[in-house]
Amino acid sequence: MTELRTPDLDQDGYPAEEPRAASSAPGTSGYGLAEWLRWGWRQLTSMRIALILLFLLALGSIPGSMLPQRGNNPGGVLQYYKSHRGLAPLLNHLGLFNVFGAPWFAAIYLLLFTSLVGCVVPRTFRLAGSARALPPRAPRHLGKLPHAAEYAVNLSPQQALTVAARVLGDHRFRLRRSAPEPAVPAGGDWISAEKGYLREVGNLLFHLALLGVLVSVALGGLFGYKADRLLVEGGTFANTTSDLDQFNPGRLVSGSDLPAFRITLNKFDASYITSGSQQGQPAAFDAHVTYRASLGSPARTFDIQVNHPLSVDGAKVYLIGHGYAPVFRVTDARGQVVYDQPTPFIAGSSANFLSQGVIKVPDAQPEPLGFSGVFVPTAVDIGGTLESVFPAADRPVVSLIAYGGNLGIDSGASQSVYELDTAGMRQLTSQPQLLQLGQTLRLPGGKGSITFTGYQQWASLAITHDPGQVPALGCGIAALAGLLLSFMVRRRRVFVRVRPAEVTNSEAAPSAIVQFGGLARTDASGGFEAEFASLAAELRSAHEAASPQTAEQVQSQQETGD
Amino acid sequence: MPVNLALGHVSNDFLIAALAFYSLAVLTFAGDFAFGRPRRAAAAAAQHPARAMATVGGPESAVSAAVGTAEPIMPELRVPPLRALFQADAWVRGAMAFSTLGVTAHAVAVITRGLAVHRAPWGNMYEFVTALTCFAAIFFVGAMIRYRAWSLGVFVMGAVVVTLGLTETLIFTPAGDLVPALQSYWLSIHVTAMTVATGVFFVSAVLGVVYLAVDRYNRRVAAGRAAPGNGIVRRMPTLEQLDRLAYRTVVFGFPIWTFGVIAGAIWADQAWGRYWGWDPVETWAFITWVVYAAFLHARATAGWRGRRAHYVQMLGFACLTFNILFVQVFVTGLHSYAGVS
Repeated sequence: MTELRTPDLDQDGYPAEEPRAASSAPGTSGYGLAEWLRWGWRQLTSMRIALILLFLLALGSIPGSMLPQRGNNPGGVLQYYKSHRGLAPLLNHLGLFNVFGAPWFAAIYLLLFTSLVGCVVPRTFRLAGSARALPPRAPRHLGKLPHAAEYAVNLSPQQALTVAARVLGDHRFRLRRSAPEPAVPAGGDWISAEKGYLREVGNLLFHLALLGVLVSVALGGLFGYKADRLLVEGGTFANTTSDLDQFNPGRLVSGSDLPAFRITLNKFDASYITSGSQQGQPAAFDAHVTYRASLGSPARTFDIQVNHPLSVDGAKVYLIGHGYAPVFRVTDARGQVVYDQPTPFIAGSSANFLSQGVIKVPDAQPEPLGFSGVFVPTAVDIGGTLESVFPAADRPVVSLIAYGGNLGIDSGASQSVYELDTAGMRQLTSQPQLLQLGQTLRLPGGKGSITFTGYQQWASLAITHDPGQVPALGCGIAALAGLLLSFMVRRRRVFVRVRPAEVTNSEAAPSAIVQFGGLARTDASGGFEAEFASLAAELRSAHEAASPQTAEQVQSQQETGD
Repeated sequence: MPVNLALGHVSNDFLIAALAFYSLAVLTFAGDFAFGRPRRAAAAAAQHPARAMATVGGPESAVSAAVGTAEPIMPELRVPPLRALFQADAWVRGAMAFSTLGVTAHAVAVITRGLAVHRAPWGNMYEFVTALTCFAAIFFVGAMIRYRAWSLGVFVMGAVVVTLGLTETLIFTPAGDLVPALQSYWLSIHVTAMTVATGVFFVSAVLGVVYLAVDRYNRRVAAGRAAPGNGIVRRMPTLEQLDRLAYRTVVFGFPIWTFGVIAGAIWADQAWGRYWGWDPVETWAFITWVVYAAFLHARATAGWRGRRAHYVQMLGFACLTFNILFVQVFVTGLHSYAGVS
């Protein structure tokens, strides 16, 4: 049915006419800047360019999923730098480690949205203009429409037309009726009727809502923030920039905008499935916290779970990670305790929680000490190597390598607390030393000792605030509503033409031939066939009900009555 | 609540039964192609709607003619769908009976699995594919009845059998509990929408393949490189009908996919503290959405209708499949729940 095109309706609103976009490229002579700009704008807002931009958007997203991204996997980026020394700087230069913040990606979506605006805004005006416009005149030959029917009625053409107008009006079609011109008998009189203007409304709503989503995301980028804090059981933090591990503010946010709440991690519980094929799979995580919304406010308790964040003072606090923090006590050569605290270790695998970490003891005498360690929650000796067979700490063992010398802390360069810079250090123990709970390792040469006194758990919390959230959700719902409207409503036109029947019998009642035809512009979800058929049936029975019985019919009824 | 293992076994048995019924359905659909009654008349009427129009006029048959000349989506539009089914060839009736039995057994398998694990039964890759093929089969059997599209049964049900069979043999996962990240009622909203939409896109992809195959044959005939009158193509709906059916299928799936992405964003905000973070799986859901949007627009763009639009649709399904089979399994991200080892 797409072949039947009335010029004032385009398929999806986008300027569908290909010749304009293709043929009118300005030549080298006689075109000024204005023409070039106009040509460029027409190109940009053409459906073809919009399609190409859509493909580019999809294509541009691919590296963002295949390469580690700074935003959600900074460790992966470092790893990539190590394993691809030559390639990584080049990729970085192209912004491929931060695709969704890269200028070229922004260029694609901004062009796409410009194209969208260039298309949607004129359409909105056109829709507003057409709100009162009448349907077009009925085509001359209704039989050529995709759906058509024809029958004779015992009514005068004008009567038949009036009945048709009533039926279509009852179905809330917008009607246009030919001016009664008795002088023009040949073509006959007609009604054209149109319905389904909401389709275009839905289509526009969808596209405008997508713009709204973009604006909401920008809003979050400007006024939102995200922060991280690792908290060992018993630890407390205040929501200030100095007390957070990481603070990523939006462009218009500073540390003074943070709500002043404090959170204490009382206890962290992790439970795991202990038997069956899913053994070791986590069953539940609970971070039991006490928090104060501000300095003077009362302390409340809350159980933060993975799908159950804490809302406090406009921010939300999420549980995003957990792990073990073995507690070590280190005494130096003088016999003084120079280190006694839980040390967070990072798990390499969530399946067995084999975790790695380092202990830095800068205050030890005569020289600073360092240990790189592995925490094994449920240790089993498998063929001489120590493995963890379960994520819970059922049989905790630590394995330590001790170093002495310069920790490199004073060199000025910032250091990760999870890595030991052994460049200026000597290894004190020849091989990893295993310690069970309570056991002590004496360092050779009387340099001191380290005791594995216990372990605690830590939880990693994310604190976020995103003012674009609610607008984004609203726009998302509006986009969906617009989509459904534009798919489910069909814009359709039906036409009625009536001409006097050729009179063969002078005694016959005045009669007319009714032609009924229709077409749906975009029948995305189908169903116009059925609608047209039922409309045709209704129209015909209305005509029959309105028509006086012919002599023949009266006679036949009398016969059956007798 | 512990997993009900007995019910889990019942589910597995029903799935085997569903596979058996589907296979019989495919064989019977193929038998219809080989031995069934020819359906030339309907095909001829469908190819020449304009000619059918010309015969309209007699007042007696006017209304029924109006129905009959309404462009037929699939053959035999004059009668209501169910009656058309009962009037169809014995092969078709048999195949539809097997399909219906298969869909019923499949649905029972999915439901009992859900009852066994006390949650929506799509928490890992095995459950996901089992459920999405179930939705695809339900949707397609409905579409077959509504549009009398029996000729397409062998292709779509064939794809369902292959997919379900591979799932059953390669990635079978016994009934079990979920990790904490998935313990949320959003599982039954977000993943349900994604599963249904994937099932629907599965059907449209098969229709797209059929469209491209018929289109290729027609062009070869036009170029004189193939003999006209291929028995299989002759029994198929016209290109226009195939195009419209595939389009309507995408139109049905696209809003569900959109809803699924939005629901996923809400869940991501609950679980991870941001509604959109370009996690690999999120990124591919976005790419899939963009490509299907491009298909919807391509159909309205001169020079892109028909074959090229369906290539776009194929691309969309390729992205979808890549996301499920590659990104969720091999790329580390927050969505690594596939449980495929």
